[in-house]
Amino acid sequence: MTEIERYAAPTSLDEALGILQQGEVRILAGGTDLMPQSKAGRLALGPTLMNIRRVPELKGVALDGDAIRIGALTTITELLADPLVRQHLPVLAEACDHFASDQIRNAGTIGGNIGNASPAGDTLVPLIVLDAVVELASKPNGSVATRRMPLAEFFTGPGRTKRAANELLTAVRIPLPRAGHVARFYKFGTRPALDISAISIGIAGVVRDGALTDTRVAFGAVAPTPVRAPRTEAALEGKRLDAATIAAAANAARDEVAPIDDVRATAWYRKELIHNMTKRMLDHVAQA
Amino acid sequence: MSLKHDIEFTLNGVRQRVTVDAGLNALDMLRDVVGLTGTKYGCGEGECGACTIRVDGQSMNACLMFAVDCDGRSVVTIEGLAADPKADALREAFVEHGAVQCGFCTPGMVMQASHILDTQPHADADAIKRGIEGNLCRCTGYKKIVDAIESACCGGK
Amino acid sequence: MNVAEKPRFIAPDTLIGQRVQKKDAPEKAAGKTRYIQDMVLPGQLHAKILRSARVHAKILSIDTSAAKALPGVHVVITAADVPDQQPIGVARDHLPLKRDRVRSQRDEIAAVAADSEEIAEAALKLIKVEYEDLPVIADPEDAIKPGAPLIHPEPHGADGKHLHLKPNAPVAFAGKPDNVAMRFDYSHGDVAQAEADSDVVFEDTFKLHYVTHCCMGVSGVIAEFDASGNLLMYSNTQVPFLHKREFAEYLHMDPSRIRIVQPPIGGGFGSKLDIYPFEVICIFLARAAKRPVKMVFTREEEFLASPTRQPVLLTLRSGCKKDGTLTFRQVHTLHDNGAYTSWGATTPFVMMQTFSSLYRVPACDYHTTAVYTNNPYAGSFRGYGNLQATFAIEQHMDMMAEAIGMDPLEFRLKNAQDAGEETGQGMKFKSCGFKECLTIAAERSDYRTKHADNLAARSASGPIKRGIGIASMLHVGGGAKIYPSDGCGTILKLDDFANVTLITGASEIGQGSETVLSQLVCEELGLPISAVTVVNNDTAITPWDVGVHASRTTFIAGNSAIGAARKAKSKILAAAARKHGCDEAELDLRGGFVIKADSGEAVVELARLMRNLHFSDKAELVMTTFYYEPPSVHQDKGFKGDVSAAYAWATQVVEVEVDTDTGIVKMTKVTGAHDVGRVLNRLGIEGQIEGGVVMGQGYALTENLIVENGVTRNPNFRDYKMITAPEIPEMDISFVESMDGEGPQGAKGVGEAPSICIAAAAANAIYNATGVRIFGLPFTPEAVYRALRGRADKPHWQAWKPA
Repeated sequence: MTEIERYAAPTSLDEALGILQQGEVRILAGGTDLMPQSKAGRLALGPTLMNIRRVPELKGVALDGDAIRIGALTTITELLADPLVRQHLPVLAEACDHFASDQIRNAGTIGGNIGNASPAGDTLVPLIVLDAVVELASKPNGSVATRRMPLAEFFTGPGRTKRAANELLTAVRIPLPRAGHVARFYKFGTRPALDISAISIGIAGVVRDGALTDTRVAFGAVAPTPVRAPRTEAALEGKRLDAATIAAAANAARDEVAPIDDVRATAWYRKELIHNMTKRMLDHVAQA
Repeated sequence: MSLKHDIEFTLNGVRQRVTVDAGLNALDMLRDVVGLTGTKYGCGEGECGACTIRVDGQSMNACLMFAVDCDGRSVVTIEGLAADPKADALREAFVEHGAVQCGFCTPGMVMQASHILDTQPHADADAIKRGIEGNLCRCTGYKKIVDAIESACCGGK
Repeated sequence: MNVAEKPRFIAPDTLIGQRVQKKDAPEKAAGKTRYIQDMVLPGQLHAKILRSARVHAKILSIDTSAAKALPGVHVVITAADVPDQQPIGVARDHLPLKRDRVRSQRDEIAAVAADSEEIAEAALKLIKVEYEDLPVIADPEDAIKPGAPLIHPEPHGADGKHLHLKPNAPVAFAGKPDNVAMRFDYSHGDVAQAEADSDVVFEDTFKLHYVTHCCMGVSGVIAEFDASGNLLMYSNTQVPFLHKREFAEYLHMDPSRIRIVQPPIGGGFGSKLDIYPFEVICIFLARAAKRPVKMVFTREEEFLASPTRQPVLLTLRSGCKKDGTLTFRQVHTLHDNGAYTSWGATTPFVMMQTFSSLYRVPACDYHTTAVYTNNPYAGSFRGYGNLQATFAIEQHMDMMAEAIGMDPLEFRLKNAQDAGEETGQGMKFKSCGFKECLTIAAERSDYRTKHADNLAARSASGPIKRGIGIASMLHVGGGAKIYPSDGCGTILKLDDFANVTLITGASEIGQGSETVLSQLVCEELGLPISAVTVVNNDTAITPWDVGVHASRTTFIAGNSAIGAARKAKSKILAAAARKHGCDEAELDLRGGFVIKADSGEAVVELARLMRNLHFSDKAELVMTTFYYEPPSVHQDKGFKGDVSAAYAWATQVVEVEVDTDTGIVKMTKVTGAHDVGRVLNRLGIEGQIEGGVVMGQGYALTENLIVENGVTRNPNFRDYKMITAPEIPEMDISFVESMDGEGPQGAKGVGEAPSICIAAAAANAIYNATGVRIFGLPFTPEAVYRALRGRADKPHWQAWKPA
């Protein structure tokens, strides 16, 4: 157990950012990743443990212009039930339905899931294909500064992001999907939820004249981070979604990924799954 | 020596003041500091649900919670539920339907079931199975647990 | 009796076959039950074990000085502190604290007793161990190659010569000249001739994997010495009396000074049938600390240090004639014994029975070699080798049926035995519902039609293929006479209110034995279930029982309880006859009354009669005892004999959906027919079967303890996949009541049966769906996908046994 020298539970964003500015802070939200990681010795809890669950600016799901802004403290259960998410971002709600267990969904937050930056993180692939943008806040010079970054660029490695040590992830913004937008999510597993997936797939785009445009394809658990798949996207973009296109896209998907062997699956099998299930998802999109 | 922190919270309807290590998890607090052993240690990693409690009405794995995060909140454990007449029908359903064998998973199951009843009062068998997907049982094969919860959901058989 | 009272009539009723609620369920549902993990003894210390950082290594030095100096640490021990420690386990090859070498990842090097778990864990981190690595043997096939490093080498003196210890010195001290831990050889009939008579012969290797019990309550023990040096152990052992004797031997103590109390258990399934190092170590700590010492595993430790199911590599040859008659089975197995020997090595006792006697087998030849490696060791686990054997046998049954063009159900019915048959191994089938099991399971699942439809649909388009498969199992149902006695003792007393205290040697491990025994007693005495209190968990009080294993408790403890109850009934009716001037033979007990048997007319309330008996000139209490020894026999040196008082069968039909794009196999339905003799507690037996089916489902599809080079890669629930609620199949369960003559109310044992043939039936179902047969477990998605794509290596082991 790491020495925690200070425990803070700020009640405003300003206060939280002030503590972060002082350095060496471990952020606690739902705790569902932090607790097991710290027990396993992979993360230190100190010197300062900061519980952000009481910061009101981090809560809430709301329409913000042409985007939906989801506060970082929104729990997975809240996302599942939120009317804006269900109506406009059903693929995100579906991913949330395949997330761990009810008990973990009730505590886990979207900010935590993003910050944990697992290559297999359940919300990350749908967020990427929805063109999500993360909001980061800090207080380097006495006043609150914010910046945004596409989520697809946010991850640098397993458990690592571009969040600076004095920054707090405050929200994720998703542009409202346009008319004709389709999005699909697939998480491989023998269970509906409580599984760390061997692979996951997100596909999104705007259907025009039987073709996918603004194509977004993302894969989870096949790389050190969740990744977009540009070659697969190119194989689909603007092309009629017929059997030949789908076959080409599935092949591109298989070739595009370079997964590893681990205790959950071998690289070969992961590539097979990527191919087979990309094809199946595209077939469903074409039939819809 | 690790940092100690004072928290005040409601436990099974009674206000409590407890001093805990800042890094302590809620399960160890309940079992070792407060002394309520009805909530069980099954894995310590949130994979088995044996430690399910309810916090501000939501079901959670106590092993994943930081004890300090209980501050200002309302926590209910199996002991609190056992004293709650509303939960009688649920407990009786477990007994009547043979949903208890060794009983080790039972407190977590009953706590999670109480959450399902509160949030999905008309849950069917499939919804209940999803609802307890985070609770492992080695003895029963789950069927009678699902039957018990379903009968409580429909206001008793 | 007041003559003006109207006569009262008690209607007949029975508890047998009813849905009876488990007696301890209300307490458990309220979270009030205190398991061993929940127990807090005043002054208790907490213990932790330092486990090996290497798989196979010499221990050069252990420095515990820093650990001992940590505030709050009371005792730190290593092997040097217990020079008189005795090796444990059936082969006496296992010292609790390792002396000069470690042989597996879980090996115990040192132990700490401290004021808290936190301090104990901190102390472990301060213990410095120096190792010299030795080559790791991770494959039993490597372990038996000439020149292979020895896991238990014979000791050498300083001069390099062999130290010859006295004959019969335990293996832990004397070592072995090779890595063979145990061997078993059995045969009946003339296998060579039978093979010559066969029209079809199959030979295949089957590979069965590591799984583990995953009891929801982790292992724990509490040891306490009193002021006179008597030992009190709180233990979840399934065999308290055997353990009492063994602990006495290991501790050089008089057995009368050891008392074992069994707190409620968080699951057993066979995991608590052997003595493990942590228990002996906890006792050493308690002795040294002079305080109660409690040790509870973490879940990771539970995965690493609990025994597994026995992994088996087996090559089976099966033959039959073209008319469908089975001719022979010849099987060689290689058992990975792990570093130390526990009950996994003795699974051949059960496997032989399946190979020799599941269906009519004229000739059978069986050989097991158990070989030391640096892997985890296997213990006893529900089914005890039978799952592994049945997996091979029932696949060959389908293969042979297909080869001779016979319907697979017909083929099985043709070879299924009837009551009255005796097998080549000397097992006498008294009650036998084998054929009924086959027929009922097949009918209720519509096996034949679906089997044919699925075959036709194999070539249809679409990735999802349906399959249906059938398999049967045979297991002992009336105990197993492997110890000097297979009996159970009961003490029964009735109090002044006609409440019964039933003191039984049989343990309750969550399977519902308390409730069933109460039912049987209440049936005899005409009392409600609520009238019985069961005492079953203290060796100082309860009479001897060999233990909870071999699905024996209902049968043997049940007969024992009935015996005591009948003695009590006899005494009661004799007293009632005397008092009320009638004939004993006219009377019976029913509904809390002594009644006239023919009319049901109440003669006297039982409670009143008890008080009259007690508070009279010839004061008498009703207390009886009974020891039931089943009429089975010990096997002879050739393993032949009628080892159980009854045998039980089940047939299960498993339906699957195989997604050929992913390899995911969903088990959609299991239809089972179980010959249980008689249903006693319908609620309880359903629960046993449903739980066993899902355990079998996990064995077949999802559970896999991954051990690589002696290291367990997935010691947690995240990556060791138990079945969760949304995955369970639809279950249709029927009972065949063959009414066993010896069984209590006709019942036979069922505890292990439901897990045994699920994997075999699933294998047959996958073949039915896809045309691909898979010879190794588990059927994980990747394993199935590889097999479907022809990318799986079929297991192959050239059958071998030592000369």
